Amino acid sequence: MIEKTVKIVNKAGLHTRPAATIVKLAARHKCEFFISKDGMNINGKSIIGVMTLAAEMGSELVLTFEGEGEEAAAAEIIDYISRGFDEQ
Amino acid sequence: MITIDQKAVSRKQSISVGFFFKNAKNKFSLKLYSDESGFEKTIYDQNLHRPGLALAGFVETFSYARVQVFGNTEMRYLAQLSDDKKRETIERIFQFTLPCIILTNNNEPFPMLVELCQKHQIALFGTPFGTTKLVYLVSDFLDDQFAPRISIHGSLVDVYGVGILFVGKSGIGKSEVALDLVERGHRLVADDVIILTKKGEGILIGAGTNLTKHFMEVRGLGLIDVERMFGIRAIRYQKRLEIIVELEVWSENGDYTRTGLDGQMVSIQNVEIPYIKLPILPGKNITVISEVIALNYLLRHYGYDSAAVLQDRLNQKIHHKMEEDTRGVDYFEHDFE
Repeated sequence: MIEKTVKIVNKAGLHTRPAATIVKLAARHKCEFFISKDGMNINGKSIIGVMTLAAEMGSELVLTFEGEGEEAAAAEIIDYISRGFDEQ
Repeated sequence: MITIDQKAVSRKQSISVGFFFKNAKNKFSLKLYSDESGFEKTIYDQNLHRPGLALAGFVETFSYARVQVFGNTEMRYLAQLSDDKKRETIERIFQFTLPCIILTNNNEPFPMLVELCQKHQIALFGTPFGTTKLVYLVSDFLDDQFAPRISIHGSLVDVYGVGILFVGKSGIGKSEVALDLVERGHRLVADDVIILTKKGEGILIGAGTNLTKHFMEVRGLGLIDVERMFGIRAIRYQKRLEIIVELEVWSENGDYTRTGLDGQMVSIQNVEIPYIKLPILPGKNITVISEVIALNYLLRHYGYDSAAVLQDRLNQKIHHKMEEDTRGVDYFEHDFE
């Protein structure tokens, strides 16, 4: 199991487009993927779940990956979030 | 079997008096008599207290951290005191950090009470409710606020009045089953993110989140609004969780119940919920099976357990070696239909 804390760095926060991208990235891997924030623990492969977090700039997410391909999934998703979803 | 991650459980330790007033104002018809200077104070005890004895002078075991309720008794007692005595009495209990005071039964505060509350920054409310009723309602409200909340991935649907939570891996078809059930006249509580709140002992109430309420994702289609699309009959805001159904791809080694006698339970925050593992196979109509699960639950609830009944019949047959035909009817009586 991999557990990592990441920070949302882009101005617009985790809005619909990046949420959809995260879900798509996660769906390519077999491992389970969960995100938790403020006592909510949601499935990172569900777009509704990711949108529920309503994560704003500066907020911290705890990502958990477990199962087949967890390393590749973690690397890819953490990189995408740290890049600020390729936004400003 | 589903497991609940500790990260999915949250619990409020306290609420501010301001938050309490904002959310409880309409429910309990609260009126504010003081200013808002006491709104920063916190409430962390779900119980309420009537400070009768504390007013009379006995403050040794005074539960001052609780919301204080002044009913007719407290107000009459204060009313018969002289002004000096009144001030002394109130100052004596105000040396403790009280969160706030509620006057019940439409009791109006005398000016000195308002003045002292503001001096000590204690919010003073009034309500038309009687003391017993208010204590019951406010402790229920606070109980709900301080209850553990669990977020869980799944779809919660009211099927014939039974709250069924579908869980399982992402993409297995939980939302599709929920949608199918809605189409057949059942009601969606929430999809994807369910918040379970523990109510009292042994009850979990499920609801959606504020943001995503009755929205749903259908793979390949995107996001849809079930309430808008199917109307008010297709949704409800909350439902007691009664059965958990886990959908999984059929596995030959899967241990699926064949009789239903060996009912499994899953424990969530010490609440035992019946748990059914349902394999998905081509040609298997999960929606219809879900309806049967709900009906079977209702039958059992009303005292009829199909599996147990058949088991009894079998036992009787074995023990008494009844001289009966194995056929279900005795004699066809010229019925050639």
